[in-house]
Amino acid sequence: MSFLEYRIKSAPTGLRKALHLHWALVLLICAVASVGWLMLYSVSGGRADLWAEPQMTRFGAGLFLMFFVAFVPIWFWKNMSVLAYGVAMLLLLYVEFFGHVGMGAQRWIDLGFIRLQPSEMMKVTLVMLLAAYYDWLDPKKVSRPLWVLLPVILIVLPVVLVLMQPNLGTSLLLLLIGAAVMFCAGVSLWYFGAVLGLAGSAIAAVFETRGTPWQFLHDYQYARIDTFLNPEADPLGAGYNIIQAKIALGSGGWGGKGFMQGTQSQLNFLPEKHTDFIFTTLAEEFGFVGAFSLLMLYGLIIAFCVISALQNRDRFSQLLILGVAANFFFYLAVNLSMVMGMAPVVGIPLPFLSYGGSVVMVLMVAFGLVQSAHIHRLR
Amino acid sequence: MTRTPLRPLARILQARASGENPDLIERENLAWRHEVIRDRGRARSEGRLLFLAIFFMLAFSLVGGRMGVIAASQPQEPKAEASGAQILATRADITDRNGRILATNMLTHALYAHPKDMVDPARVARELVELFPDMDQAALEKRFTDGRSFLWLRRVLSPEQMQAVHDIGDPGLLFGPREVRLYPNGPIAAHVLGGASFGAEGVHSAEVIGTAGIEKAMDARLRDPAQSGPLQLSLDLTVQATVEEVLYGGMVMMKAKGAAAILMDVRTGEIISLASLPDFDPNDRPAPITDKTAEPGDSPLFNRAVQGMYELGSTFKIFAAAQAMDLGLMNPETMVDANAPMRWGKHLIKEFKGKNYGPLLSVTDVIVQSSNVGTAHIALQIGGLRQQAFLKQLGFFDPSPIELIEAPGAKPLIPARWPDIVTITTSYGHGMSASPMHLATAYAAIANGGIAIKPTLLKRDTPAQGIRVMSADTAAKSVSMLRQVVTRGTASYGDVEGYAVAGKTGTADKPKKTGGYYKDKVINTFATIFPANNPRYVLIVTLDEPVEDSGPEVRRTAGYTAVPVAAEVIRRVAPLLGLRPEVDFTPVDQITAVVEDNH
Repeated sequence: MSFLEYRIKSAPTGLRKALHLHWALVLLICAVASVGWLMLYSVSGGRADLWAEPQMTRFGAGLFLMFFVAFVPIWFWKNMSVLAYGVAMLLLLYVEFFGHVGMGAQRWIDLGFIRLQPSEMMKVTLVMLLAAYYDWLDPKKVSRPLWVLLPVILIVLPVVLVLMQPNLGTSLLLLLIGAAVMFCAGVSLWYFGAVLGLAGSAIAAVFETRGTPWQFLHDYQYARIDTFLNPEADPLGAGYNIIQAKIALGSGGWGGKGFMQGTQSQLNFLPEKHTDFIFTTLAEEFGFVGAFSLLMLYGLIIAFCVISALQNRDRFSQLLILGVAANFFFYLAVNLSMVMGMAPVVGIPLPFLSYGGSVVMVLMVAFGLVQSAHIHRLR
Repeated sequence: MTRTPLRPLARILQARASGENPDLIERENLAWRHEVIRDRGRARSEGRLLFLAIFFMLAFSLVGGRMGVIAASQPQEPKAEASGAQILATRADITDRNGRILATNMLTHALYAHPKDMVDPARVARELVELFPDMDQAALEKRFTDGRSFLWLRRVLSPEQMQAVHDIGDPGLLFGPREVRLYPNGPIAAHVLGGASFGAEGVHSAEVIGTAGIEKAMDARLRDPAQSGPLQLSLDLTVQATVEEVLYGGMVMMKAKGAAAILMDVRTGEIISLASLPDFDPNDRPAPITDKTAEPGDSPLFNRAVQGMYELGSTFKIFAAAQAMDLGLMNPETMVDANAPMRWGKHLIKEFKGKNYGPLLSVTDVIVQSSNVGTAHIALQIGGLRQQAFLKQLGFFDPSPIELIEAPGAKPLIPARWPDIVTITTSYGHGMSASPMHLATAYAAIANGGIAIKPTLLKRDTPAQGIRVMSADTAAKSVSMLRQVVTRGTASYGDVEGYAVAGKTGTADKPKKTGGYYKDKVINTFATIFPANNPRYVLIVTLDEPVEDSGPEVRRTAGYTAVPVAAEVIRRVAPLLGLRPEVDFTPVDQITAVVEDNH
C-alpha cells in the first residue's frame, strides 16, 4: 500500500482521526494502569510519592506518546521500521559495552531522566521490521528457505545480544514474538516443527553440560530452573520468591483480605513486590475475584487487538498488531505463570502494573502503532 | 496441481476469430490467478491468526484456572528442610534447679560410605586407617570392593576428624548429622543422669535414647516434642559438686571402697544432691561388669544411694522410739530395761563391744547411747504388726518412687516371716535391708513434722503433699533426741558450729554370701537432720567398708567414719543452701573503750 492509496482510500484526516481511535483499547489500558497505581500505593504502605506518583507521570507521558504515534499515518512507520530496528540494534550493542549494570546484568542506558532498556525497544522494532518484511515479500516466497533465513537472522541477532547481557527472559520473549509474527505471516509449519525439535535437543544439551566448565548457562540460571522444578527445596534461598508469592496468592482466597490488608506484601515478606511480583499483592488483597478481573481486562486488550488485526486488510498493519498483541500476551503469560509457580523466575514485569518506566514507554509506543494501524486501515 | 491455463486455446481462437487482442485474455487470467493466490494467502494468515488467538485464550484459561486452584488452596508456611535431612528427635536438655546445664545435645557427624561412588577404594582405605588406627585396612578395602552399596564406618566424628575425612576427598565418603548427648560437667551427678546412646539410626539422623538414670526414666518426656523446655531437676549443681568432693575425700581417708550421700529438702521432698562413689563419666559410660562372681557394687555404674541395699543398723532405732512415743506407750523420759546381754529364746542380744548400759535407760538415752537392748524392749512393747505397719508407711517395704530407672528394681530385703526376734533385730536395723534413699525418705518424714512425702529428683514448684505418719509433737521430740546424739552421744564428731546437727549413727556388719557376717567389713551410715531447731534438710552419708586407723585403735564405727565426713559435708554445704548459722554471742564484758587525748 502506498501513500497514494492512503490518500484515496482512508477517510480520516487531521483531528478527525481522534474519532477513529480505538477508544475501547485506550480505556482498557487506562483501567489496567489505574489498578497498577492502586497496587503500588498499597505496596508502599500507603505512600503515593514512592512509586505510584512517578508511575502516573510516566503513564501520562506514555499516553501522550501513544496519541502522537497513533496520529502519524501507518505507512510512515512502515518506512521507518528498518531505521528503528537499526537504532535499537546499535543501542543494544552500546549497552553491551558501556551499559549500566543492574541486578547482575548489563541492561540500561542511563539518559539522566530515564533509564533506557534497548531490549524492550527491540521488542517493538523487531515486530515492525518483520511485519514490513512480510508486507514487502511476495506471499509465494514466504516459505522458501532463503526468504525464511533472512527474518531468522533478524530475530536471532538481537536475541543473542540480549542473552549476552545476560537476560534470559527477554531474549526468550524476543524469540517468541518473532516466531509469532513469522507464524502469522504463513511460514510453513515444517520450519516450526524443526525449530521445536532443535530446541528440545538444545535443552537436553544444556542440562547435559551442567556442572562442566563448558556449561551454557550461568549458575544462577540453573538455580532458577532448579527452583522452578522444586521451589520447596530451598525455601530461604532461591525458592523464597515463589513460595512467598504462592502463600500470598493462596492467603488471598476468593475475596481477598481487602485493600492495604495483605500481610505478605505489607510486611515485606515478598521481594520485588513492586516490580515483578506485584500481581501477588493484588491477588492477596483482592483475592481470586480481583485477580481474575485483571486477567479479563488483559484478555480484552488482546482480544480487541486480534479483532482489529482481522478487520485490517493491510498485511503490514495486520502483522504489526498481531506482533504487539503477542508481545503483550507473552509479558503477562510469563509473569503470571512465574508468580504462580508455573514457570521459572525470569524477571519479566507485569505490563502496566509493575513499577518501571521503560516497559510502559515501549508498550505505549507499541499500542500507538496499533492505534495508527487501526485509524489508517483500509475501509 | 491443476492450473487454469493463462491462454486457453479455445478462447484465444475465439478472440482471434472475432478480431480481439488475445493478450487481454492472458492479462485477465493472470490478474485473476493473483487474486486467488492473495485470497489464499490471506485465508491462511487469518487462519493462523485465529489459531494464535485460540492459543492465547487457552493460555488465559490455564492461568485463570491455576489462579482458582491457588485461591482455593490452604496456604502453607514453608518448612526448613536441608537436603531432605531432618534431625528426628531433638532431646530436651536437663538442667539443675538453677537452670545450669547438666545434659545437652551436640551436633556431630557420622561417617558412612557409598562404595559404588568411590573413585579409589584402596587409597580411601589407606588414608582412613591413617586417621583411625583401629580400622583394618585390608578388611576395609575388601568391604569397599565387594559390591555393597552402603557401609557404616564410624558413628561419631569430631569436627577435626570430619575435616580430615573430608580432605580425603572421595565422593564415596559421606557424612550424616548425629546429635550426641553431652554432659558438660563430666562425672558430676553421673548416677542421676545415667547416660544415653543411639537407638534407631538412619543416614540423616539417629534417635538418642536414655540408657540409665533419669535419662531412661524420663525418656518419653525428654523426647516429647510438645514439651520443648529443658527438664529441670531438683539437684543443685554447686551442692552436688561439693558433696561429691567431700565424700570422695572422706572415702579415701576412711579407706572405704564405696560411698553414697543423699541430701534432701524435707519440706518438698526434692533431692538436692545424690552422690555415689566410685562414679563414672556419662559421656563415656563404662561397660557393665559381665563377670558373674563380681558383686554389682564393684561396678562404678552401681548407684549405692538407690540400688545399694544395706542393713542400715542403729539409724533404725529412732523409728522404734518415735513409734512408741506416738502410740503413747512412752515419753522421752520413760525408763526401759537395758540390761545386756539380753536373751530371747536361743538368741543373745548384745551391746557394742559387750557393754552394758543398764539396768535402766530413759528412751532418750537409749537413742543417745545407741542401746540395742533398750531398743529391743521398746520394739517388743510396740509389737511386730504395728512395727511393720509403721515401717511400711515410712516407705521401707516398697521400691523408692524416685525418678531413676534403677529405683523400681531395687526392692528392700524384708524378712519373709515376722517373729518377735525379727521385731527385735529390725528395731536396731538388722535383718532387713534398704537403700540410703529409703532411709533419707524416712528421716525426712521425722524432720518434716511427721508428714511423709515422696522424694523426687524433679524441681517442685508447689509445696509437697504427704501423709502424716506421726504427730508433730512426736517428730519434734525425735529430732530433739537425735540432736542429743550429736551433743552428748555417739556422733559427737558430727557437730557443726552454727547449724545444730541432729542425727543417728549406724554400723552394720556386712553379710557374707555364704551366710553369717564379716567381722571386719561394715557399712557405716550417718543419718542427719539439720538445723535441728527448724529442720530443713536430711543428709545421709554411707561408707562401704571404711576403717579409721589413724589412732592406736582401729575403729569401724560410724561415729569415727561417716560422722566426720557428714559434718564436713554440712559445714561446706549449709552456706550454699542459704542457711544462716546461729552463733551464740557470749557477752563481751572485758573490753573497755579508751579515748586517748593527744592534746
